[in-house]
Amino acid sequence: MTGFKLSLLAARWLFIGCLIIPVTVGIAGVMVPAAGYFPALGETEFSFQAVNALLATPGLVKMAGLSLGTALLATALALLVTLAILAVYIMRPTLNIVQHVLSPVLVIPHAAAAIAVAFLLAPGGWAARLVSPWLSGWHEVPAASVLHDPWGLSIVLALALKELPFLLLIALGVWSQPHLQQRISQTLRLGQSLGYHPVTAFTKLIWPQLYPHMRLPVLAVLAYASANVEIPLILGPGNPPTLAVAVLQWFNHIDLAMRLQASAAACLQILVTGLTLGLWWLAECAIARWWRGAVLNGRHRQLVVRLHLVCWLGLTIIGMMMVLMAVSLVLSSMATHWPFPALLPDDLTLMHWQRAAAAVTTPLANTLVLALSVTGVAIVISVLALEYEHQAPQFGQHRRSSAPALDMLLFVPLLMPGVAFLFGLTWFAQLMLPEAIWLVTLVSHLVYVLPYVFLSLAVAYRRFDTRYTHVAYGLGASPWRVFSAVRLPLLFGPLCIAMALGLAISYSQYLATLLPGGGEIATLTTEAVAVAAGASRRLSAVYTLMQMGLPLVGFVLAWWLPTVLFNPAKKASS
Amino acid sequence: MRWSVNPAQWQGRSVWHRGVSKWVGISLLWLSALAASPLHAQTVNFYAWGGSPQVNDYLQWVSAQTQARFGITVNHVKLADTSDAVSRVLAEKAAGNHANGQIDLLWINGENFAAMKQHGLLLKDWVHTLEHFTLTNPAENPNMTRDFGVPTDGQEAPWGKAAMVFYYNQSRLAQPPQNAAALLRFAQAHPGRFAYPLPADYLGISFLKYLVMALNPDQHPQLFAPVTPAALDQVTPALFAYLDALHPHLWQQGRFFPRQAARLTQLMGDEQLWLAFSFTAAEIPAAVQRYDLPAATRTYAMTDGSLANVHFVAIPYNSDQTQAARKVVNFLLSPEAQAKKYQPDVWGDDTVLDVSLLPAAQQALFAPAQRHPAALPASGYHTLLPEPHASWSDALREAWYARYGAHL
Repeated sequence: MTGFKLSLLAARWLFIGCLIIPVTVGIAGVMVPAAGYFPALGETEFSFQAVNALLATPGLVKMAGLSLGTALLATALALLVTLAILAVYIMRPTLNIVQHVLSPVLVIPHAAAAIAVAFLLAPGGWAARLVSPWLSGWHEVPAASVLHDPWGLSIVLALALKELPFLLLIALGVWSQPHLQQRISQTLRLGQSLGYHPVTAFTKLIWPQLYPHMRLPVLAVLAYASANVEIPLILGPGNPPTLAVAVLQWFNHIDLAMRLQASAAACLQILVTGLTLGLWWLAECAIARWWRGAVLNGRHRQLVVRLHLVCWLGLTIIGMMMVLMAVSLVLSSMATHWPFPALLPDDLTLMHWQRAAAAVTTPLANTLVLALSVTGVAIVISVLALEYEHQAPQFGQHRRSSAPALDMLLFVPLLMPGVAFLFGLTWFAQLMLPEAIWLVTLVSHLVYVLPYVFLSLAVAYRRFDTRYTHVAYGLGASPWRVFSAVRLPLLFGPLCIAMALGLAISYSQYLATLLPGGGEIATLTTEAVAVAAGASRRLSAVYTLMQMGLPLVGFVLAWWLPTVLFNPAKKASS
Repeated sequence: MRWSVNPAQWQGRSVWHRGVSKWVGISLLWLSALAASPLHAQTVNFYAWGGSPQVNDYLQWVSAQTQARFGITVNHVKLADTSDAVSRVLAEKAAGNHANGQIDLLWINGENFAAMKQHGLLLKDWVHTLEHFTLTNPAENPNMTRDFGVPTDGQEAPWGKAAMVFYYNQSRLAQPPQNAAALLRFAQAHPGRFAYPLPADYLGISFLKYLVMALNPDQHPQLFAPVTPAALDQVTPALFAYLDALHPHLWQQGRFFPRQAARLTQLMGDEQLWLAFSFTAAEIPAAVQRYDLPAATRTYAMTDGSLANVHFVAIPYNSDQTQAARKVVNFLLSPEAQAKKYQPDVWGDDTVLDVSLLPAAQQALFAPAQRHPAALPASGYHTLLPEPHASWSDALREAWYARYGAHL
């Protein structure tokens, strides 16, 4: 076996290991203390002590319910608006515009989105100033606030805002697969020729075919929403908080014995996330059953008005939110004194940006070093694993047989609550490798970055026109030469996109940086969350804008670089 | 997104090779960034509360100075709460990490110090070896060696002094309340315009201690001794009667408490609050100058007393940089560093040095500066209330959580 083949095989197992080992170790690392075994605290026998302490916590059901309810509501809302947008705009150029307008939201970190929503909803924020005092009658900042509401509705808003562009992208990704696209557009035309309104035709004929392909990503979104920490930390209620936030607070409690209870709560979080997924599946079954009846009821214009309403309402709200958030963040980041209800600050200054620039060098360097290393590793592993899949026949396997199993594996870290396994992983790492906080942080990031990088590369890789490689093999090239001289250059564009995506995912990691690094590795995201709780709104606006800008730079480069570096067409014309 | 692969874009090896050389260049750049990262220098990890931009900026100045003088980088790890660092050292000790702790230096006082001292988590008997410690005149100033009633025993070095002040937005509120009773009447008259942080935060528990002392003027001697159940039962009725009346009129009707002191500044800046309080008086005019607080902000002290204390720096027992950490502490105590810290536009923290021991040229560094309108007026304090014994913090906090919510 050649060295290249060996490295392919190694990459495949590394790929599987990176997805499975940290999660498994992490889950074990919370389950053991949850069962009462924690030698460092003198607990050397298994007991129900931690579980009992957890069950005795007042408000536990409310915490779990808050996690479950906000996740279900936000995901249902986001999916409904996604459905409406697709139904109204499918096969129309407007869809492209909508997708492009929403794509910045896709790449901004959850923490930044939460802080931006907090700016928007602040009682003295720009939205309130717009209507004050002429409409609202407010001459003073209203004392009541919708932030931190006990029902977690501001969490739902932020989650839905963040999920919608992702679901839309997933749907369009499914849609753009050639074998599906042809069938779907034919079905759609058929429906219309039978007199169905396009919206109804989409909802009755296309959506039931499209959704099964989106199910896993939707479940990943749902699982993330149920266990997310940043958004409820910034927007959520305090008494009680969501379960994930409570887990974080108990783990950081000064009383080390609380770690046992926190571990038990982390296990409960796994159950709650599982329950959320189960409820979603039940709801899915019920809706599918009801809809199967509705599909055949012969109504040609069913849901047309309602879906139009949802689509326009959704897009209007999102559009307004994006404009208001952008304006209020930019103005706040440059504001001098700004008494309520003035619409504009007294004056503008660059002071806040200068202060941030002076303090941001180390976090920025950490962010970039982490993101570039993690994404580099993820891309190498993904490409080699995909190449292995491609060359599988030479390893004595059928080409496609391993692909679906591998794809399922990708969702293991995405479905498992990070707040559960990251604590266990950190605990294990502190025991085994107390010095290696950078390594453990890299691995924690890799767990999240690898699936997205792989999924994004897999689309292009599996769609690759194999005639090029066949010709190259026919000319006597070695597998390595075909790989390096034919395949990689042709995949330069998708590689850039995967790079930008990996960087964006790594930038946005909050828990995966905070826990393994013990708070010592400050990144732009951990700093932004810390500053948001700090004294200065102005500085918080600057950090949030920087956090939003960084991933965008990556994507702009990813779109622009291929047109410059590997564009013979342009070269030929000049 | 460009997922598509266009074969026409590909012409041959040379293009690919040019691309490769570019990428090699980029990765070299990246490697050099790695080499320059703080992983490689001699670094003292200074775990300190990071909620004040002024303190953060001052620590950046300190790091630049120690780099220039001793080649030591001070890496400020910004804590939301000092107890996070305490639990970290405790966890390291529990995991058997006795010589390679992450924390080299810790900004600390009060009950966090008492807890660390009790668990043997601090380096012992090092403070008197510092050249500049003598300038604090510890023989004459017992505050330099006692922390919330607990002897420091050379385990922490004094760094600065602070007392609690209140501040208000003059454009919304002409006459601020002057004592605890008036504060309650203010909150009832203006619901939602006052807040205090959770007692897990140092400012939150300080507010409770202020109330205990202000509401129980006859009980002070008990407060300076270790807490007993009987003593606690004597002071809490007045406290809880007060808080029961206050809570429905707090920000968010008392259902959501700010977790951290810095959030009060933010809420004052948003004009949601009209009245707040702080342990760093100099932070207030500085925040006005940074536009984080309204121009009409004014600072004052309550007539029924202001809680006052000294804050310290300590070295955990398992730090592997104790020599470098001592050098940094000695620098923090130097007249130059203390005078810099004293400047109102830097931090404005009161010095722990006995200025009368310094040569005249250095004394001049501590001359009073022009006061900002938002600053506490000269001689603004009425009575300084010394901190109760450290054990009271835990007792009051537990009593508070037992009454008002276990998971706030």
